[in-house]
Amino acid sequence: MTLITSNISRLILHRALSLLIFLVLFSGCASNLQTKVAGNLNSLSKNQTVAILPIEVSHSGQQEMADMFRQGLYANLKQSKFNLLEKYIVDGLLKQNDLTDPSGFLVINPMQFGEILGADAIVFSRINKVERNYLIIHSSIELSVSIQMVDTRTGEILWRAEQTEHDFSGIGKIPTGISTALFAPIQFVTNKLNLSKMTSKMVDKLTALIKKPENAVANTQFDDLLIAKKATNDLNKIKELQQLKSEWAQALTLDEEVVVLQNDTAEEAPKEVATLDNNLVPTASKIAAEPKNRVAVNAVVHKVHDVETEMAPLTDTPKAIEQKVETPIPLNALRATLVAPHHIGNSGKTNRDKTKPSKKLLKNSTQPKKLYTVQVGAYKTKAYAQSLLGKLTKKGYNAFMTQSEKLVYRVQVDKFKTKEDALKLAQGIREKENLKNFITLIQPG
Amino acid sequence: MSPDRIYSFAKRCIVLVGILLAGCGTVDLEIRQNHTNPSMQPRSVAILPFTLQEPDLEKISPHKLFRTCFYNYFSYLGYVDLPLETIDKKLQQAGFTDPKKISALSHEKLREILNVDAIVRANVLSVNNFTGGIHAETAIKAKIEMLDLRTGDILWDTEHREMTYSGILSPTLVEIIQDQIDNVKVHQAYLKTAELFSINMMRKIPDPADNWKGEIRLPEITQIETNLKPNLKLKPNDRIYVNLKGDPGLTGYFDIGSWKSNIPLKEIVPGLYSGSYTINAADKVTISLIIGTLRNKNGLTGKKFYKEGMAQFDASTTH
Repeated sequence: MTLITSNISRLILHRALSLLIFLVLFSGCASNLQTKVAGNLNSLSKNQTVAILPIEVSHSGQQEMADMFRQGLYANLKQSKFNLLEKYIVDGLLKQNDLTDPSGFLVINPMQFGEILGADAIVFSRINKVERNYLIIHSSIELSVSIQMVDTRTGEILWRAEQTEHDFSGIGKIPTGISTALFAPIQFVTNKLNLSKMTSKMVDKLTALIKKPENAVANTQFDDLLIAKKATNDLNKIKELQQLKSEWAQALTLDEEVVVLQNDTAEEAPKEVATLDNNLVPTASKIAAEPKNRVAVNAVVHKVHDVETEMAPLTDTPKAIEQKVETPIPLNALRATLVAPHHIGNSGKTNRDKTKPSKKLLKNSTQPKKLYTVQVGAYKTKAYAQSLLGKLTKKGYNAFMTQSEKLVYRVQVDKFKTKEDALKLAQGIREKENLKNFITLIQPG
Repeated sequence: MSPDRIYSFAKRCIVLVGILLAGCGTVDLEIRQNHTNPSMQPRSVAILPFTLQEPDLEKISPHKLFRTCFYNYFSYLGYVDLPLETIDKKLQQAGFTDPKKISALSHEKLREILNVDAIVRANVLSVNNFTGGIHAETAIKAKIEMLDLRTGDILWDTEHREMTYSGILSPTLVEIIQDQIDNVKVHQAYLKTAELFSINMMRKIPDPADNWKGEIRLPEITQIETNLKPNLKLKPNDRIYVNLKGDPGLTGYFDIGSWKSNIPLKEIVPGLYSGSYTINAADKVTISLIIGTLRNKNGLTGKKFYKEGMAQFDASTTH
């Protein structure tokens, strides 16, 4: 009889313990974490700086959680492989640039953040949900966040994660008494410590992979290279602009000064480096010493700034491109006034004594006198050039088409002995036909 | 219901609430020197190695763990924090490795070694991790202070005991068991307590961030030039040259996208940095922008992207 009672007691105890373990395992907080990293995350080191941007919230009630989350994120990532930009520096620099609304951060090109913050990568985060529910004997807290780390140098998404954390207090957790059954749910939703603990736990789980990206397995790694949308758009615009500049540069290559310089380069440089513009071979001492060179560098500075201001809004690109085309002079100025390129031999050593600035002048002195013309277009496709030519001819302009050595078809109007006359026509075309143009030189005949 | 039963119920509730809140005690931090003049605020701070009053029986080194955790949170405030490794290295170079001896050094000596405005030092008075039956607790008690090395004044100090507790008066059975399981992981339990300690401290430590926000300035780069041209395809042995103009006396380098980082630039004349990279046959790179960087002694970097051309490889010549 005693044995039977003992067995029954043991069975009850066993079942009670099993039930408890089951409850501990399954009635605790629930977590849903989806996180993926890029292979390039491993290449970040202490030489790279990462900035954690202010957290986006959908309403002011989430701000407390956002502050805790950012603090936790910062503390957790402080011991990572990369260098973290201090919070007050991030906030200070963003304020200096009037970037105080985190909801607008995602529409800004990561490159822009790179220049503003001096950071190699930035972390965007958003609090999706902070929900507290209370129903007398049951209360719960649900938190949800999204996070993304983007490389400012490439726009590549290095890390992306979404996490939801849910915890509750109530009958399901077996209260230890009647009073606790009533008070525990109230305490659970009102005590800030619980929110803080949940946030801390959430950040721990969230950052586990980023702290040790080498532990990433197949299902936590991106299959392909992912580029942030804004970065893709802007990189494409830069490429388009460069393409256009390239075409214009080709269109301008008949300018004799440039031709002379290029011929010199072709003679001096070995074939494999011939396509590179080696005008920037370290000539710092010359740049600093020679006033002429300093002027040339300044001209470039102006030009670079122009491009950047055109790039920044990125909402009106065609207009920006037209403005760029309107001022071709710096292109020539750059090529003509920078010191001549240095020869790079097969050994990789530079030959610094091959500047031949006098050739340009010699060449100019032997040339027949050139005429001025108004160039209104340059195309790689002949049909486009012919189309514009036809339109202008119909309107009575003395338009004609020329072809450069690099097979660019240029549409030009009239020839003048003086630049003033050419400028008058250029002004007329701009006003009447709304055609951007510029004055260039042309061989007579 | 008799008054006795009401009294008993109320008493239990008070005890319960007391127990529940025991783990989240606020830090009683005493501000001894409150600099109203921002220029007097310490800017750079070093966190000295923490000392442990009692023998470390569990071989967990909770004081080291606490120091790292405290540093992680402290660096969120607006001070220029010397990295822990740098502090330890400097102290070691000066011949000091024992935390107790380091804490006893004069403020002049510490300033000479570390070259910072202030230090934070802590003495961990007691630590406790206990799990038994239905009672689990982990506690850290420490005295922490910030010392202005320029004047030798204590700026603030506190003695606080942070505890995470779970026991018979915990509200639910599941929580009691879960806390027991968690508390057995001693390292994690200390880390959790140290984290709570640090978070509570940060709420009280004066944050000078607002004093500096207006004057933050990154190294300035006024111009970046490269020899890249639009649509240029690079081949092996081609060399990318980069010239950078900006603040003088800094460390300059450039990146080719994220593919090749920290290629050094040499300052040829003050404010003018120059460098190059020669393409190797084995180099594989997609289209990348060139980014010039200048870094100052505080580790702050200024960046500028070269947008006139991109580095792209001729696929036919690379492997």
